[in-house]
Amino acid sequence: MSDASALVAVRARSPVWRRLVRVALGVGLLAVALYLPFVLTDRAAFGYRLSNVQLLNLGLSQIDLMLIAMLGALSLNFLTGCAGLISIGHAAFYATGAMTAAIVGSLWGWPFPVALLAAALMGAIAGVLAGLPSLRVRGLYFVLSTLAVHHVVAYIFLQVQVRWFDVSGVPYNPAALGGFALNTPLRWYFFLLAAVALVYWGLRNSLDTREGRAMRAMRDHELAAQASGVDVRVLRLKAFALSSAIASSAGATQAYFMTNISSEAFGLDFAIQFIAMIIIGGLGSLTGSLFGAAIWLLLPSVIAGFAPQGAGAVAALVAAHKPQLVQLIFGLLVIVLLIFAPGGVASLGRRLGALLAPRGPR
Amino acid sequence: MLAQVLFSGVALGSLYGLVALGFATVFKATEVFNFAQGMLAVCGAYFASAALSTFDWPFPAAVAFMAAASAGLGVAIYGVLIQPLSGRSMLAVIMVTIALSIVLHSAIEIVFGSQGRTLVTPLPTGVLTWGSLRISELHLTAAAVAWVCMGLFAAFFRFTSLGLLMRATADSHEAALVSGVNVNAMNRLAWAIGSLLAAIGGLFLGQLQIVSTDLESIGLLALPAVVIGGLQSIPGAIVGGVLVGVIEQLAAFYIAPESTEIVIYALLLLILLVRPWGLFGERELGRV
Repeated sequence: MSDASALVAVRARSPVWRRLVRVALGVGLLAVALYLPFVLTDRAAFGYRLSNVQLLNLGLSQIDLMLIAMLGALSLNFLTGCAGLISIGHAAFYATGAMTAAIVGSLWGWPFPVALLAAALMGAIAGVLAGLPSLRVRGLYFVLSTLAVHHVVAYIFLQVQVRWFDVSGVPYNPAALGGFALNTPLRWYFFLLAAVALVYWGLRNSLDTREGRAMRAMRDHELAAQASGVDVRVLRLKAFALSSAIASSAGATQAYFMTNISSEAFGLDFAIQFIAMIIIGGLGSLTGSLFGAAIWLLLPSVIAGFAPQGAGAVAALVAAHKPQLVQLIFGLLVIVLLIFAPGGVASLGRRLGALLAPRGPR
Repeated sequence: MLAQVLFSGVALGSLYGLVALGFATVFKATEVFNFAQGMLAVCGAYFASAALSTFDWPFPAAVAFMAAASAGLGVAIYGVLIQPLSGRSMLAVIMVTIALSIVLHSAIEIVFGSQGRTLVTPLPTGVLTWGSLRISELHLTAAAVAWVCMGLFAAFFRFTSLGLLMRATADSHEAALVSGVNVNAMNRLAWAIGSLLAAIGGLFLGQLQIVSTDLESIGLLALPAVVIGGLQSIPGAIVGGVLVGVIEQLAAFYIAPESTEIVIYALLLLILLVRPWGLFGERELGRV
């Protein structure tokens, strides 16, 4: 009896308590996000010098790349985790964006925001085209059609690159938003942070709209969704268009950030890394994809930075095969996560939360 | 010239068909779409290379070692990775095979170095001239071995009782289970066969070029081969492999060497749009 009343009390109290925790977390996260770039640029926090190891060997450029990857991971998780469409063609949409930016920005000399918009538009078109097989085939066959799309786009990019640019890569103009030149990692950081926040907020809200709910229903049970009056064919194409528009602008952004990019940068490995990110993060969890992207892009340099302090023979082995070892650890991490934590980081977080929360009677 | 191109296409295609047959065997038995199939071919080539140049074994012993090691690898993969994931979503299983290929790729480069190695075997390497046609003996041997292997496995599935048990298991796990078939053993066997066939393909691919992890992309041509032929069909895998080999050689010769992949994948896209169940596959009814 007392247990039950305690539960009622907890239930009654929890919304306020939870909201407080949430606000505190949000404010803390924002403070860290705003202060972090200065720590990484000055290599010092609150006046204290920090060594490379204390900063986990991270540089701001890596954080910037991570933010760009977060855009890709968010859009892929929206497509795969929320709409239930598995795609291994996400590198193709990045490549579409980079290619559009190459033509609009480098060839025609139009400014960065225009190139970005053009990339989003082309990405949406490419997404609808790539999604067309989804009208006809399901599951595995659809996965393969995205693989085929990947190869087609990679070939077109290579042709564009060789015809109008250099064999070694496409050069991009310095990026600027009006008068604000994106010429330092610090400036990029704030631009990208805003972009990730915008995309995260937009996707999150779009999931709560009528179409967003219809989309999740389609993922869970296509026939039931169809019976409830959802036109799954149109919905699938829409999801594809939105996801690939985001991925495509991310690709254009990455191209501008790198200032020079070749079609080889968007190989199959590049597509697979996004799948790995959303699996590590947790399928269907947008917050999880942020964690997945962070783990995927930052862990290698963390591992690489800590390695040389090991014992003699180990250190020699590590020094000789650093990239392979990093890949090996990653592959194993993904396998372990797949087997033991099917829901990824997001489900680990939920489990941890359930562990810490006060238990009611069962 | 066309005959020349066709010949090397069929010879290479037979190897793809062999790798694809292994792929189809695994897919039929366990419904796993194995993206690591190309890497299994690479593993086979490295097993052979290790036995030949590192341990200095004679060729037959090296081949036996390669067969045993790759079959063991297949069984291990099934037991450690695939079985725990049974009943899980398709993406999880696909991803685990992708992760596996990453792990195998980096493990091979750590053990053997990232440089390619040449494979020295006593297989004939001369060239037969027949009119204007120049036939590489290695291509001929590869094609012959591939067809013998494919014939053996087709006969195994068709005529032996073990093959019958495997086909029954592939048709329906539950029905096989209630009839007293050890389904796990059948699946292990399927993975062993799949890995072994990939390894034989890898041995010849490594001999035709050099043994390196780049062979993975060649081994991965088994994917379009198997889909073009029809996922559920064993003869389809073989025909699809040969078709992919011929198209690859034709495209490389008549269009451009770098156009091979796009031609193959464009064909794959076309097949998926027009006839998703492939040339020989059975149409799946009830798509939801």
